[in-house]
Amino acid sequence: MSESKRGGIFYGWYVVAALFFASFLAIGSRQGFGVFVKTWEEEWGVTTAAISVAAAIGWLANGFSQPLVGYLTDKYGGRPVLVISLAVMAVATIAVAAVSNVFGLIIFYGFVISFASGGISPATTGVVIARWFDRRRGTAMSVLIAGGSVGGLVVVPFLSFVLVEFSWQTAWIIVGVLALGLGIPLLLLVVRSRPQDMGLNVDGDVSPVEGSADHPIKVQPVGQKFVERWQEALGSKPIWQLSFAYFVCGITTASISVHYVRWAVSEDISTGTAALAFGVLSGINAGGVLVVGWLSDKFQRKKLLGAVYLVRGVAFLSLIFLPGASALWAFAVIGGMSWLATVPLTASLTADVYGVRNLGTLFGLANMSHQIGGAAAVLLFGWAFTQLGSYDLAFGVGAATLLAAGLVSLSIREKQLSVRYAPVVPEGAATDSEG
Amino acid sequence: MPNPFDVLLHHSEPIDPTLWEWIEDKIHDVLGIDSAVAVLVLGLLMIAFPLAVLVLAVRKQRRSG
Repeated sequence: MSESKRGGIFYGWYVVAALFFASFLAIGSRQGFGVFVKTWEEEWGVTTAAISVAAAIGWLANGFSQPLVGYLTDKYGGRPVLVISLAVMAVATIAVAAVSNVFGLIIFYGFVISFASGGISPATTGVVIARWFDRRRGTAMSVLIAGGSVGGLVVVPFLSFVLVEFSWQTAWIIVGVLALGLGIPLLLLVVRSRPQDMGLNVDGDVSPVEGSADHPIKVQPVGQKFVERWQEALGSKPIWQLSFAYFVCGITTASISVHYVRWAVSEDISTGTAALAFGVLSGINAGGVLVVGWLSDKFQRKKLLGAVYLVRGVAFLSLIFLPGASALWAFAVIGGMSWLATVPLTASLTADVYGVRNLGTLFGLANMSHQIGGAAAVLLFGWAFTQLGSYDLAFGVGAATLLAAGLVSLSIREKQLSVRYAPVVPEGAATDSEG
Repeated sequence: MPNPFDVLLHHSEPIDPTLWEWIEDKIHDVLGIDSAVAVLVLGLLMIAFPLAVLVLAVRKQRRSG
């Protein structure tokens, strides 16, 4: 029987709420960077390109930090990594207020904030959730991921209004103080790395009475590919299947983030209409991720992951075959449904196949492949448009890679390898908990 | 060719300044609220959520013993 069935809310949901707020702050403040670009250009007398160097370094630092913070999460638990990461991010955010040139921005935003915010990414928060939830892992992960979307919707306007009313320095100080004054106490007082730290079981299940004939002891089962060390996973297929598909996710989301509005302009659609369509896409993704996360606890996750990639492939094809304005809105709606849904599915499936002991490192590596795919695609899409004067070939390549990602995801042998389909094993067998 | 570093992860990328300027104008047109009021409302929302979670979680911990 679960705790919730006895009338109370399972404590794991409070952990989700606390991590939701940490993600909300981390992602919201990173997205808010764009609000200040024009102010900095005017105040410091620099170009957008000069400021984008800080964003570029931030992109690299954030991507490469994820396997490392994931490894630290596997080794020391999520709570200390989250608290230290948020503390460093908060102090560096306040320090940005004292910056008076691009070099300071590169140091504090490009290196420190971006690296530290990697510690508040799904490579850490997802691991904590995977250790608290088993049967409702997909739902819990999707709620957490939606926190990032909500962060963007709330923090970015907030920073913008603070900029108008006060100054850009005040905006950065407020975010830092919020993280120090509310975020860190919340993580320290609410979050525990695993339910056992509070004497609870995964999913809030009530402990069986030890030795009772009516309630034989059940041990958390492990899948066939459960690994004691993360390096062992690299010799098996699923991590490569998931990373390849996530690489394609990076290709197709990063390219659209940069080229969607530019493509619309090339189709004689106004920037405002394109921006509105992209806003619709962003809004739909928050709902889409919640629905897919909930469904993933009911059905095989690989089927949903495959479907998400194939649906996104259809969205790419619509950009080629539909006329301009119809394509714009078709992509916003169809693409929006699949935009963030890959994150909880990939994280949950990785946990289901390999166990949670090394999830941080393995999912951190998958995140890095996502980043590499994104960077390569942005370059190649730009090159293709410059050479051909059209995005059709680039979108065609995007659709083809999505078809491949969909088929590769569907080929994962989930029923044979996932812990969700493994029988309950007797006491004394291998267990899946952090070392 | 566009700057390849314009983009971060799709769940943590910085908002495009031009896009934000357009959205900001629309918010102002539709809601028409003063920026000081917006700061207050959004600020209260950002403070109330973590405080509520903190209070409820601590109560839950105490009840669970």
